[in-house]
Amino acid sequence: MNAVTSFLHKTEADPSSMPSYEKILELLPRPVIFVGSDGIVLYANPSTEVLLGTVIGRDVHELFPGFMSGLISMPGALSSVLVSWNEVAFEAAFAALGNGRFLIDLRPSLQASITSMPSDMDDLTGLAKRNALLSHLSCALSVKAPSSFVAIHCLDLDRFKMVNDMLGHAVGDLLLQKVANRLTSACRKGDIVARLGGDEFVVLQNDVNDEAAAETLASRIVDLVGRTYVINGHTINIGASVGVALSSAGIQARDLLRNGDLALYEAKRAGRGRYRTFESGMDALLLNRREMEIDLRRALALKQFKLHYQPFLDVTTNKVDGFEALLRWEHPKKGNIPPLSFIPLAEENGLIVKIGEWVIRAACMEALSWPEDMVVAVNVSPLQFKSDTLLETVAAALERSGLPAHRLEIEITEGALLDDTEKVVQTLNALRNLGVKISMDDFGTGYSSLSYLQKFPFNKIKIDRSFVAGHSTDSEAILRSIASLGRSLGMAITAEGVETAEQLARIRGERCTHVQGYLTGRPMSTHQIPDFLRQNDLQTEKL
Amino acid sequence: MASSIYSLVYYSRNYIASDETTFAANVDQILAKSRLNNQRDEITGALLFNAGCFAQVLEGPLDTVEAAFERIQQDERHGDVSLLALNPIEHRSFPNWAMGFIGTSKIHAERFADIGSSSGFDPSRLTGDEINSLLRELAIEEEAA
Repeated sequence: MNAVTSFLHKTEADPSSMPSYEKILELLPRPVIFVGSDGIVLYANPSTEVLLGTVIGRDVHELFPGFMSGLISMPGALSSVLVSWNEVAFEAAFAALGNGRFLIDLRPSLQASITSMPSDMDDLTGLAKRNALLSHLSCALSVKAPSSFVAIHCLDLDRFKMVNDMLGHAVGDLLLQKVANRLTSACRKGDIVARLGGDEFVVLQNDVNDEAAAETLASRIVDLVGRTYVINGHTINIGASVGVALSSAGIQARDLLRNGDLALYEAKRAGRGRYRTFESGMDALLLNRREMEIDLRRALALKQFKLHYQPFLDVTTNKVDGFEALLRWEHPKKGNIPPLSFIPLAEENGLIVKIGEWVIRAACMEALSWPEDMVVAVNVSPLQFKSDTLLETVAAALERSGLPAHRLEIEITEGALLDDTEKVVQTLNALRNLGVKISMDDFGTGYSSLSYLQKFPFNKIKIDRSFVAGHSTDSEAILRSIASLGRSLGMAITAEGVETAEQLARIRGERCTHVQGYLTGRPMSTHQIPDFLRQNDLQTEKL
Repeated sequence: MASSIYSLVYYSRNYIASDETTFAANVDQILAKSRLNNQRDEITGALLFNAGCFAQVLEGPLDTVEAAFERIQQDERHGDVSLLALNPIEHRSFPNWAMGFIGTSKIHAERFADIGSSSGFDPSRLTGDEINSLLRELAIEEEAA
């Protein structure tokens, strides 16, 4: 026997009491095969030769044509059916021997026939299903060489549901078949493509040298799956989001798959049609986000939201014109959570619509107690414009509170005008017809397209704080230009974020009509407002 | 009666390495393979190429045209595929399937002259139909890109 089999050959001290292990293998009535990392059989016991002919030196794929895409599949714990080249079915169990070498233990199968394979296979695409994938993955992890990785690519099709809804399931199914086909064509022999159901696919990439190699395949998948399809004369465009995870020492199949899913979640969050690679911390991040989402869902009912109010002043009279309502979340355990930490999440899951409705109602009620004609400004998220209920909410809030419409100012950002501008302008017009004021918030930070100013006659433009704080002559010039542009269009101009007397003097000189910032008043709770107004009146009189 | 012949028109960015030998070898490969497949699939049309892009008209039964396009989509030698048209047609504009170099590069024009003549490439066929002539112009524009 050759050097490789000698590792199996351990001679006992007393040969009379115990046959050698090699002898045992020779006597074993079922086949045992030892395979090298290149897939070539290095040892086979005599039973193997009886059932399969000469096997030493042959490729394991040749012996078992169904041997899944080359890999050393399936972990020792699970047995699976292998059919030999001469069509004998075996129940096979595998054991990894390190460095990519492995042992196959074969038991002639009684009930297993060639047709019993498809239970592991997806009928529609012929790809592996979840269980088969997990088997492949566990095995790949146990037999991989220490220097290489196994990578998992979890993918979801973007806009697949739309195809199903619009063109029917028959076309949807054909599309899934084409996707399966493209994925397979992107992979190498030895990689495994699986469909977990619906439009969820997973690619198992074997023998990955480094992260870059996994990312190459991921970007290839995004490119390939995202290319146009033609099916039954329909042109179909979908995209793929991919989450990539690389094996780490000792990682289990399920954990690696979960990492891939987490990365997929990040890919989708980052805007779909792209891949993201798993990084440690993504799980903690997701956990945090989920906790926060749960808290956020009940914050409204538990009355944890409060409104604070920041005054804005008329620069010519120094009198308070009104207050901007600012949302605060007073979390019972975590304390005050800044809006930047929860608003994006609320926008992502749509909660912002309900929260926004509460803000409008609460702001109208509270403003009613303020001195006559003082305005309350409320921020409205782009999502609220899309929800179709904004107009109704505003009208109801005004009616219920009894606040005159001209004392409510709705602040929108450019974001609201980006999509479906026409419909948004329609809603804005309807709001203005109620008598509500409309202002453009954070002007200068986004596209700052002048066409927005033309599409709708805003009552006011609020210039972003960055131009007020900026010391360069450029930001000064921009501030001045926006102000004079707005005024010539008949709009009021608020400079935001004014913190120093020097800044205030500057914006006075630059045709701004209003000022808002720490200098003229910090955000305050509703019960602080009367005191603040009294103080301010005194100061104004002194001036 | 509805026409059973369809025309599919696309153009794409050429990803083949720009060194001359690789480019020429790939062009030969594409010609050999496509000729075989397209004859079998009753597909006629024209594949225009230059260093910048591929532009192709495929005419034939819908199912084989779709299958050919799917094979094309899986090819790594190009990307940014823009599908310009997919329509039923009354009759074919091309009598056979052929490929030819189109562009202003003199070197390439000479180098690939054989391919055009041996495959029966006839640039004048591209001027009859609006989309086909548009494709021709597009290909020339994309040569340098």
